[in-house]
Amino acid sequence: MAPALGVLALLGTSKGLFLLRGDDDRRRWRTEGPLLVGWGVYHAIADPRDGTLYAAANHLVYGATVQRSTDGGQTWRRSKQIGLPEESGLTLNATWHIEPGRPEDPATLYLGAAPGVLFRSGDGGETWDVNRGILEHPTRAGWFPGAGGMSCHSVQLDPRARDRMYVGITAAGVFRSDDGGETWIPVNKNVEADFLADPYSEVGQCPHKLLLHPARPERLWQQNHFGVYRSDDHGDSWVRLDGNGLPSGFGFPLMLDPKDPDTAFVIPERSAEYHYSAGGRLAVYRTRDAGDTWEAMTDGLPEQAWAAVLREASAFDSDSLYFGTQGGSFFALTESDMWVEAIRHLPPILSVEVTPWSG
Amino acid sequence: MVGVIVTGMLAAQAEGRRRFDVEAETVGEALRALPVWDLLFNERGELHRHLNVYVDGTDHRERGGLQAPVAGAREIRVVAMVSGG
Repeated sequence: MAPALGVLALLGTSKGLFLLRGDDDRRRWRTEGPLLVGWGVYHAIADPRDGTLYAAANHLVYGATVQRSTDGGQTWRRSKQIGLPEESGLTLNATWHIEPGRPEDPATLYLGAAPGVLFRSGDGGETWDVNRGILEHPTRAGWFPGAGGMSCHSVQLDPRARDRMYVGITAAGVFRSDDGGETWIPVNKNVEADFLADPYSEVGQCPHKLLLHPARPERLWQQNHFGVYRSDDHGDSWVRLDGNGLPSGFGFPLMLDPKDPDTAFVIPERSAEYHYSAGGRLAVYRTRDAGDTWEAMTDGLPEQAWAAVLREASAFDSDSLYFGTQGGSFFALTESDMWVEAIRHLPPILSVEVTPWSG
Repeated sequence: MVGVIVTGMLAAQAEGRRRFDVEAETVGEALRALPVWDLLFNERGELHRHLNVYVDGTDHRERGGLQAPVAGAREIRVVAMVSGG
């Protein structure tokens, strides 16, 4: 493989996919796109196993699908056979998140979708089979779709336990499987759901983003509708972390430092009723002590902003952080914790992923 | 044989082709013969609700819906509804 020249950012927007190539220092960026013109790209990835691009593509008229490209985005093919069985009484509303399978399963991918469903592909995204354990979960009657629908937006695979995986579903909660996805147990203990009659019920919580730390996979981080949480026991219990420096517990994006399990980043919004930057100041907040304290990272960000950063619209790698706003600005963190606005005036940015770029 | 005309994004998903001549007895069969049929129907086989389908200028619903025969028809047009934004 050629040495990396920089970073490739895949920006899913409401009007298509943009590819931005940044130099090593992430100060200069070159823009390509839009690809998949007209599609709302809720999430797009470059599969680290073979470089194939996948896009969760949605359209008001033409529905929900997954598109894939093996030539860097020049040509695309739609998935076949993606839908829900008739007996479920449900139909596919939207495709939300594409997660590559394990390195030893090169043709496997997972797809989180609405209404609160998970798919698996065993043929590189040509066809998708719904996960019955989630579709027919005995608690499904206690899941209540919120304003954003009921999306399965987070799919996390434990790198050290082949049969362990997690999903996060809005208005349903976090679920863990210890048997390769056959059965799922709710893991929402101590996570608040203030809109329910019982705010600490078994299910019905509203995770906005769930991430597992790759170097310490028993540690999970969760940006929830009601606060920021951490679990150190595979989700069996959670600790709320949004005191001590965070202006609000409400937000959507979540980023980690692959080298340090105690570091995490969130972008708070004022509240669930006011989806914009807390205090009219766009800021990324960092903890370096596992959530005990938080500090704002604002250098290079606009001093006045009423921005919204959506749940898929942030990314991280071992060197940096990246996020995009609904206003169409894309920011990357450079040396000395300085943010650089790589581009502005894109369509609303729905998703951000990054991968090394080698030309 | 009936001609089916698709526009904009559907044509883009069909390598730029806008017209397809297909063998079909009904409107539904004609639509399902298209290479973009999966963008027209949900998994129940129901036409996406923001699509209009015209048979020689008449809304296909007025001719009996997807079961309407296309014998003698000249052209089917598939058009996205005007839905704001």
